[in-house]
Formats: sequence, structure tokens, C-alpha cells
Amino acid sequence: MTRFDPTLQLAGSAAQPKRTFRLPAELGPLAGLVVLVAVIGFARPAFLDQSNLLSLLESAAYPGMLAIGMVFVLAIREVDLSVGWMFHLAALLTAFLLAAGINPWLAALAGVLLGAGLGLANGLLVVALHLPAIIVTLGTFAMFRGLAAVAVKMDPTAAAAQSGELFEIVHGKLFGVVPSAVFVFVAMALVMQIVLHRSRFGYRVQAVGSNPQAAVYAGIPIVQVRLLTLVLMGIISGLAGVMWLGFPVTDAEQGSGIVLMAISAAIIGGTSLAGGRGTAIGAAVGMLIVQVILSGVGLFGIDAAWNPFVIGAVMVLALALDRLLKMQRNRHAARFHKNLHG
Amino acid sequence: MLGSPMISVRNLAKRFGGIVALKDMNLSIGQGTIHAVVGESGAGKSTLVKVLAGVVQPDTGVVRVGDQTVAIDSPVIAGKHGFGVVHQDVSLFADRSVLANLFVNREPLRNGMVSRGEMEARSRALLRQIELNVDVRAPVSQLDMGERQLVGLARELLQTPRLLILDEPNSGLDRHETEHLFTVLRGLRDKGMSVLYVSHRLEDVFAIADQVTVMRNGRDALTKERSGLSEADVIDAMIGQQRDTLFPPALPANASTIRPQISVQGLGGGRISGVSFSARSGEVLGFTGLEGSGVAEVFEMLFGLRKAQSGTVRFPDGHGLPKSPTEAARRGIGLVPANRLCNGLMQDRSLAFNISNIVAGARNWGSRLYSPKVAAAGAARQIDALRIKGRPDAPVSSLPAGEQQKIVIAKWLETAPQVLLLDNPAAGIEAAAKRRIYALIRQMAANGCIVLLRSTEPSELTNLSNRVLVFHRGRLAGEVFGAEMKRRTVLHLTTTGKMPEVEQPKKKLVGTMA
Repeated sequence: MTRFDPTLQLAGSAAQPKRTFRLPAELGPLAGLVVLVAVIGFARPAFLDQSNLLSLLESAAYPGMLAIGMVFVLAIREVDLSVGWMFHLAALLTAFLLAAGINPWLAALAGVLLGAGLGLANGLLVVALHLPAIIVTLGTFAMFRGLAAVAVKMDPTAAAAQSGELFEIVHGKLFGVVPSAVFVFVAMALVMQIVLHRSRFGYRVQAVGSNPQAAVYAGIPIVQVRLLTLVLMGIISGLAGVMWLGFPVTDAEQGSGIVLMAISAAIIGGTSLAGGRGTAIGAAVGMLIVQVILSGVGLFGIDAAWNPFVIGAVMVLALALDRLLKMQRNRHAARFHKNLHG
Repeated sequence: MLGSPMISVRNLAKRFGGIVALKDMNLSIGQGTIHAVVGESGAGKSTLVKVLAGVVQPDTGVVRVGDQTVAIDSPVIAGKHGFGVVHQDVSLFADRSVLANLFVNREPLRNGMVSRGEMEARSRALLRQIELNVDVRAPVSQLDMGERQLVGLARELLQTPRLLILDEPNSGLDRHETEHLFTVLRGLRDKGMSVLYVSHRLEDVFAIADQVTVMRNGRDALTKERSGLSEADVIDAMIGQQRDTLFPPALPANASTIRPQISVQGLGGGRISGVSFSARSGEVLGFTGLEGSGVAEVFEMLFGLRKAQSGTVRFPDGHGLPKSPTEAARRGIGLVPANRLCNGLMQDRSLAFNISNIVAGARNWGSRLYSPKVAAAGAARQIDALRIKGRPDAPVSSLPAGEQQKIVIAKWLETAPQVLLLDNPAAGIEAAAKRRIYALIRQMAANGCIVLLRSTEPSELTNLSNRVLVFHRGRLAGEVFGAEMKRRTVLHLTTTGKMPEVEQPKKKLVGTMA
């Protein structure tokens, strides 16, 4: 087989591509976080206590991992509504296996694999039925939730066991202060940022979300990309669920609220709902913003019953922001185009 | 004369940005006649229809009904003046019943409720007249193409139009369905209805029309009674006396002893059957045919977008048809799709991202990592080679159409394809950019690529390709090459499905051209 030179021998010298310096997209949310922390810290100095900040970080870690996975799902123009219950089912399975006396590492692995399996089920339904993930996961969301309810009913005590080797590990503190969940959360944000922007898989994810039709015509394996992304979401949910060990898993509302939190965090962090681009670090920052707001709401003496309302409001705000920024960009692009050719 | 001119169009002109769609268009349609308008694609036919339908406002010129000048500001006003338009792809609601489609937005009420009985009563006579015997309460999706076309027609007829405008009405119909449609149209004409029949399928125009107007470059080039015209006259008027200065000369092929070849034997499936051809490296093979002729299907099969049911194909790598576009891309088979905006580009992403589409997106070899630096280098290489006016990090949407098309081509060139399918690569691009795309096509062939070029512009085909395959109704109607390689021959074969008869010497009607 002969290969041909990919470039055409047309005249012209290789022009050096001009580089324009661009601020990283994560800077905006990060600035927002700093301002929020400063404002709340100024008004309520107790907010800045080390213990408060650490517990805030820990409560951001679990939904934060889901938000990082959600970035990939949003980037292919899909939404996975079932994450909260994949997370819960993984936590339950791990707890049950531990109660049955299985090796803790095996139990943890089983939890992650369950997440992967549930993600695969979502993915197979999406690609086989040619349905949007938001529709498919609306159904599986209820199914997983039902499964969790049945499992809890079977053995309510095992679900909330607070001892054992795995428990010691996931609730241990690195350097005596940082909870290991926070460590995993931060590490995941960094690794997934690299996966999204510097791996072939990440490139494909962004290409499929940017224009699915053009991706087909470019020969990008979009079925495989969709499937893998939803499996990845399952794996991340499973991992987060395994680390959730020892927290109450009987609360029926928790699995529902967590998905809103994850989507809000991803959008606040700069991931577009329209697909095509995303940032894992941004989503992590976004989740911190959500938690800071919730913590602030508590410090200002507002009843915790308002929390779901606050999360919803933050989500709506994030959506409005996403939309406004997009319109602004389009206007800017139109003006640019006019200046260039008009 | 057939009756006094009832509807006429005078000095109509319309520009879209820099493109002149209509200039000084004149047309008179008498009562009780079927008046055909023909022309190459881009001659202005569809703009004319849009003006009469009230979708587009002309820059200058008037439309008259009887002796009155009318301003058609909107589709509703077009309807009030009695203009009924059946569009190219009938806009029906597939999931809704025939009745619901017939009376959409004009549902008759009885006691404040939409009455199906009333609908049936009002449409029964008409449906019998046009011989549409279907269950009117069944959804339109259960009807075949011919019946759907008749539903679209009946929807307009229910409003008793003065002038019925049909835009490419039979592009999806088979011969039998077309015959039925024509019978219906003749019946309507005999009852005094005027019909404007827009098409580029000459055999149909000659079968149905009383009067023929040929459009060229946005104006009426020739108007005559059908009985006084031959197909050759019409084709001459369609082509005119344009000079082809757009096309660069052929390049000498780069010397190579191996000449990879693609061969296709008896390819069939869906609309097409028994398609056979072969092409060698260094060759530009032209493909053309009307909408629905099957060229699109052949391209989709060769790129793995559509399954073939029969036939054997051998690509230069010795394998058969790719099973998916991904496999095609990995085997060095590329497709530059027709619709750049939705199929070719990720508009919001950078040039570098788009040019990496195949290298990083489709192919699986090399590193698992994606390096923006490597992508930018690849983009810079292509930007330099194709002289694209843009930086690697600029979004594609900031470039003009011609430059965007170069990016679609560039992303394939970056992978050095052995077979490149180009689907109307120069459509919607201004002339200077067209010339650059043409030069690129020549260059790719000279570099040893097998270029399959689909185009709806005969001049592109005759000037760029070595041979032209013409499709008609799902079959390969003929191959044009060598001395026959003229726009007239290609156009004749495209519009009629038959090779033109051997030209009688000096019997051309150059004098009748407007």
C-alpha cells in the first residue's frame, strides 16, 4: 500500500502560528469562589474556621466527584439523571458485602463495578434505542431508586455500619487533617481534566458534543464514545458511593437532590449545557461554590429546609448565566465577522 | 393564444448579499395552461417560486393578477391572491391523519368543536376527483410517496387557488405515480386552472407543459410553446454562451508505477441497483444526477453511511465496502459532505480542533493522548498548504464560506486519503474561492488520490473530471467522456436519462436565444 504525502506541494513558507494568550476558563468560577468566601467570611468570621472549611470540603467531595463525571456527559450533549442512585446503590452494595464479611477491598471493587454496570445499562439503552440519555435515565433513575428502597428494607442495619477496615480507610485523614475523600476528589479533578483535554477519548467527547452530525461524517465512533462516557459516569458514581460508606443511605431524597447539585456545579464551573466543551476543574470549583452557598445559608440562620430551594435557585441561575454568556459570545462573533468581511 | 395572461411577472430582481438570484425576470401565465419553468440549479427557479409564495420579497419588479399589481408580503397574502404552492418536499405532518393535514390551521368547527365529519364532507369530492383513494383518518406516514404528494396537492386545491405552483413535484415519485399526478394536473387545467410547473427534469416538462420558459442567470432566456420546442433547444437555452474561466488547467500526474484502483460491480440497495464503475488513482471521476437519482446513495454506501444490499466493491486496499464511517476513515476513504454547516464542521471549535477531526477523532493508531501542540502543528501545515486565511486557534465560525470548506478538505488531507469523495464541494461559495477549491481538486488527483466528485453543476464536471457518470432513477444512465464531454451532453443525460441523439450538423437554434 502506498502512502501519500499529507501536505500538498503548493508554494508558501510555513508561517509560524501566532499564539494569542488566553485566560484559563476556570478563572471566572475561581474568582467567584474567592469573592463568596471573602464576603461570607467577613460577615460571619466563624465560616473561616479550619474545621468548618474542612467539613465544607468533605461535603463537597462526594457530589463533586459526580459533577466531574457529569462534565463528560454534558460535553457529549447528554444529561444523566440517575447518578444519585447509582451512587447510592454502590454504597449499599459495599455496605452489605462488608456486613457479610467479605474482604473490604473486594467489596469496594464490587461497588465500583456495580456503578460501571449500571452506567453500561444506561449507555446500552441510549445507543440501542437512539434515545437521549435524559429520557432513558429518567426511567432508570426511578428503577435504581426503587432498588435502593428494596435493599434498605431488607436490612436497614447493615446499610449504616460505621466500623471496619474500609471504613477506617475512607474516613481516615491524610496528614492528620485532610479527609481522604477530599484527596480523591482533588486528584480526580486533575486527572479528569487531563483526560478531557489531553486524551483521544476526551477529544472525541468534545467533538461529539460540539456537532454530532459532523462527528459522524468525520468517522468518529460516536456510539462507542456515548457508551464509554455513560460507563465512565457509572464508574465515578460507584467510586464516590464506595467512599460514602458509613453515611446514612436511607434518606430517600438524597439521591434526587445530588443530581441537581452535580449538574449545577458543572454548569457553574463553565461546562456548556449545549455540549462540546467542559472543564473538570471548573466543576470541582463549581461544587465548592454550591457548598459555600449552602454553608453560608446555614450561617445566616436560614433553616436547612430551604436547602433544596437554594440548590434549585443556584441551578436556575447557572442556566441563565450559561445562556447569557452564549448569547453574548454569538453577538461578539457576529460583530467580529462583520468587521472581518464587511 | 390560449386565453389572456392572467398572472404575470415583470422585471423581477432579487439579490441575496452578493449573489444575484433574479434579475429582470419576466413571465406570463395564461388561464388554463400548464406553464413549465426549467433551468439549471442556481438559475433562479426556486427564488421565483419563493417570491410568488410570499416567502421572499423582490428588490424590484411587480407581480400582476389580471390588471392589478399585487404586493405579496406574506404566504397568507399569497393565498388570498389565489396562489397555492406545493413545495419540493411536501411539508406534511407524518403522524397526523390525512384529514388533519388537509385542513391544517383551517379546521372546520361545528358547535365549537373541530368536526371530522365536516372535513370529510368538504374533501370527499375533491379526493375522488384526484383519485386519492386512501383512509382519510389514517396517518400520512402510512401513505406512499405518490399519495403524499397528492395530499399536499389536495391541501392547496381545497383553497381553490387561481394559480397552482408546483416546485419539483415528482422528485420522489416513480414513473407510475408521476403519470397519475400528470393525469390529475391535466384534469385541473381542462377545468380552467393555471399551473406553474417548476422542474429540471426535461422528459416531464415535455410530457405535461403547454408553455415552457427557460431560466438562466436569474432571467427568462426563452419562452415558447412546447410544441415548437425540442429538448436540444431547451438545453441550449439553459447553457447559454458562458465562458468557463473558473477552471484551472489539468496538472501532470506525479509519476508513480503503482496505480491503485477502486472497482464497483453491480452495487445495489434502496433506490439504486446495478451500479458498476471503476476509477484509478490520479483520476477525477464525476458523478451527477437529479435529486432522487441515487448518486447520494452511492456516496453514502462507499463511505459506510448506508448498507448496500448487493454488489462487490474493491477499494485500493483490497477490501470491500466499509461498514461504518469510522472504518472508512481508518482505511483512507474520505468524504467531504454536501452540507458544510451541519455535516462538515464544528463551528464553535478552533481550526486546529477541526483539522484534528480525523487524525485524533476517527483513527486509533498512535498515542492515546491528544496533544494540542501536535494539533496546532498539523493545522499550521494545512493552513500553509491550502493557504487558509485564519489562525489555528481561531473558531471556524469566524471564517468565510470558502475558507471553511478548505478546512473540511484539509482535515482529510491531513490523513493522506487514497479515495476522496467530494459532495458538491464548491456549492455556496463565491467565484474566487471556487477557483481555489478546483485547483485543490486537481492537485489531489495529481498527487495520486482517487477523487470521486459529485456535482450538480455540469460545467464543474466537464471541466474537472476525466469521465462523468450520470445517474437517472437509481441506475447508471450513462458515462460521458472524451469528445462527448460537453455540458449539453451531461445535462441531456441528467434530465432525460438518455444519451442525446447524434447531432445533425448545423441544425442549432443559436438565433432564438434571448
